[in-house]
Amino acid sequence: MQKPTGPGGLPLPRTDNSVTWAITDENKPVKDGASAEPGPLRIYNYADYLDPATLKRFQKEFSTKIEVATYNSSDEAIAKLSSGAVDFDLIVGLSGSNIVDLIAHKLLLPLNHSYLPNLEKNVWPELADPFYDRGARYTIPYVVWMDGIGWRNDDVKENVAAMDVPWDIFWHAQAYRGKVGILDDRRDALSMPMQRDAMRKGIRPDLNSEDEDVVNKAESDLSELSSICNPKVTITDYQTLPEGKTVLHHSWSGDLLSAAFYYLPKGVKPDVLSFWGPDQNGVVQNDFFAIGRTSKRPVLAHEFINFMLDEKTAYANFVNFTGYTPPQKGIDAETLLKQGLIPKTLQEAVVRPDQFGANQELLQLSVTGQRFWDDAWSKFKAG
Amino acid sequence: MGSRWIWRLVALPGVVWLSVFFLVAFYAILAVAFGNQDTLSQPVPHWNPLDWNVGYVLDMLDNFFSGGPFWTVSLRTVEFVAIAVALSLLIGYPVAYFTARHAGGWKGAILLALILPLWINYLMRMLAWINLLAPEGIGSDLLHQLGIEDVFLSIGLLDEPGGWLNGQPITVILALLYGYLPFFILPLFVAIDRIDRRQIDAARDLGASPASAFLRVTLPLSVPGILAGSVLIALPMFGDYYTADLVSASTQTNMIGNQIDEFMRQGSEKVTGAALTLLLSAFLLVLMFYYLRTTRRAGTTAQTT
Repeated sequence: MQKPTGPGGLPLPRTDNSVTWAITDENKPVKDGASAEPGPLRIYNYADYLDPATLKRFQKEFSTKIEVATYNSSDEAIAKLSSGAVDFDLIVGLSGSNIVDLIAHKLLLPLNHSYLPNLEKNVWPELADPFYDRGARYTIPYVVWMDGIGWRNDDVKENVAAMDVPWDIFWHAQAYRGKVGILDDRRDALSMPMQRDAMRKGIRPDLNSEDEDVVNKAESDLSELSSICNPKVTITDYQTLPEGKTVLHHSWSGDLLSAAFYYLPKGVKPDVLSFWGPDQNGVVQNDFFAIGRTSKRPVLAHEFINFMLDEKTAYANFVNFTGYTPPQKGIDAETLLKQGLIPKTLQEAVVRPDQFGANQELLQLSVTGQRFWDDAWSKFKAG
Repeated sequence: MGSRWIWRLVALPGVVWLSVFFLVAFYAILAVAFGNQDTLSQPVPHWNPLDWNVGYVLDMLDNFFSGGPFWTVSLRTVEFVAIAVALSLLIGYPVAYFTARHAGGWKGAILLALILPLWINYLMRMLAWINLLAPEGIGSDLLHQLGIEDVFLSIGLLDEPGGWLNGQPITVILALLYGYLPFFILPLFVAIDRIDRRQIDAARDLGASPASAFLRVTLPLSVPGILAGSVLIALPMFGDYYTADLVSASTQTNMIGNQIDEFMRQGSEKVTGAALTLLLSAFLLVLMFYYLRTTRRAGTTAQTT
């Protein structure tokens, strides 16, 4: 069978189909040894995804200025970037689910690794040379996260993590009706029943499936939840779980940590929050840094990336602000546990390198495949 | 002749404003809905009507008329808005009537109190309700103590005690009612206030009881106000999506605005989003024409009587 292709006829990267994106004569990386351009460095970032104190430190150390503009969804970012309406030095927070769009639209400048010594020094080897961008020619990993279940262990009676198929909890959540949440993202949400299905059968799912029947089955499974527990479809779990407005949530790992770091009301201890994420056959994702093709400050942008890959910076940005794990060799759950930063119940919200190989990234689909997911999602959302 | 030109010039800024911000924007939606999308799933508008591609609009209509998801959300939206408008009438009419006819020196103060909530951003007011209606919130406590919660529970409008924010249709309807009620009362107040008292006096002199005078004089004469208020709140309610999102977020309460938001801001089907916008606009256009016809008829009847 012929492999489906992505936008503009480009290949769709998969773990068994790694892609090295071409570097062409009209779009070459900056030369070695150039000095950084004067600021301001213009960053385009997912909302609340960089620690303001870290940005301040960069401005001070490099005596420059930073301007940050934000987007709320990757679709919004791609639409704005490809319209040419916005012009940024650094794009932060997009992932393998957008890589083909970024390349097809010619939105990225290739990188010069001589400015990025911290990549090899600090970053997990698995991600320093990812299958979706061999040689990290256009992208550098920023933070990683996984999809899992976040719950209030003082409200939810079941030991979710110990269940044969933990995802089943959502289909047995009658007791928590109205206090259950599902991630408001078509790919994450629809891949959840796919994982459940595969876990029950003991098989490996394809979370980037382009099979209409598989996607529709996921939709009908997910829609069953309406009568079982009438879930909210939101991404505000980092607030609603600590406040107790929801007690069981399909969650991004990083949100449980930021919930524990910042959003607990007075008198609520962080160990009431629990997180479970699958060791295999689940969703992991890697959000990356990339430099805008039309950047006027490419050297400064490289310096910023290298600064963020420094272990101390990455750590501060993680525990003081985002809650999303930087894929750094020196940062792991044990260290955070020992320092008393996170309770044991949230240990799994810190993503491990071995989970990267065994879980799956949600990757860009073909235009037809995407349509199946979009239609199924619209059906689910119509209720 | 000269003065006529001056009056036309006076109208010019308004015409330009409307053309740019309404007609051009509306035409852009048409061009997108009857356009196509590129291999990167971005919409490609077809500006020339001769090139229009009806495929996406037909798909949308097929989905709608065959009882697909668009039908489900549209029906739910009509239901929510109709109930919210009916409740506005039930609650708003007495307030407008009292303010116009019996408030005396308090008229100004009451009007101010009606406008006062608009002083705070709509979003903030809805966010405030989230805290008030949360399980241990002051609002849900009060509803419990007053026995109102029990009433809602017993007629099945609420799933469980304190569960106001658990994806309940009634919460969304009440939130819409709360958010838009002042816009209903104000035009209605003006309509009732304008009614010539002598007509009511005449009815009384001719032997009508107060109730009969109200039903046969005041109420018919306030119909244009009721219609204006209804249209004024129904139109934005039909396009509303953040109210349902904030106080419920369940798929069971999503309105057509939520679907449009979903298509336009995320995913790869912006053209479908534009087509759905057209469906909503067409429906609203019918409502608007009905309103215009009724008010015109009401105007002529008032003049001839």
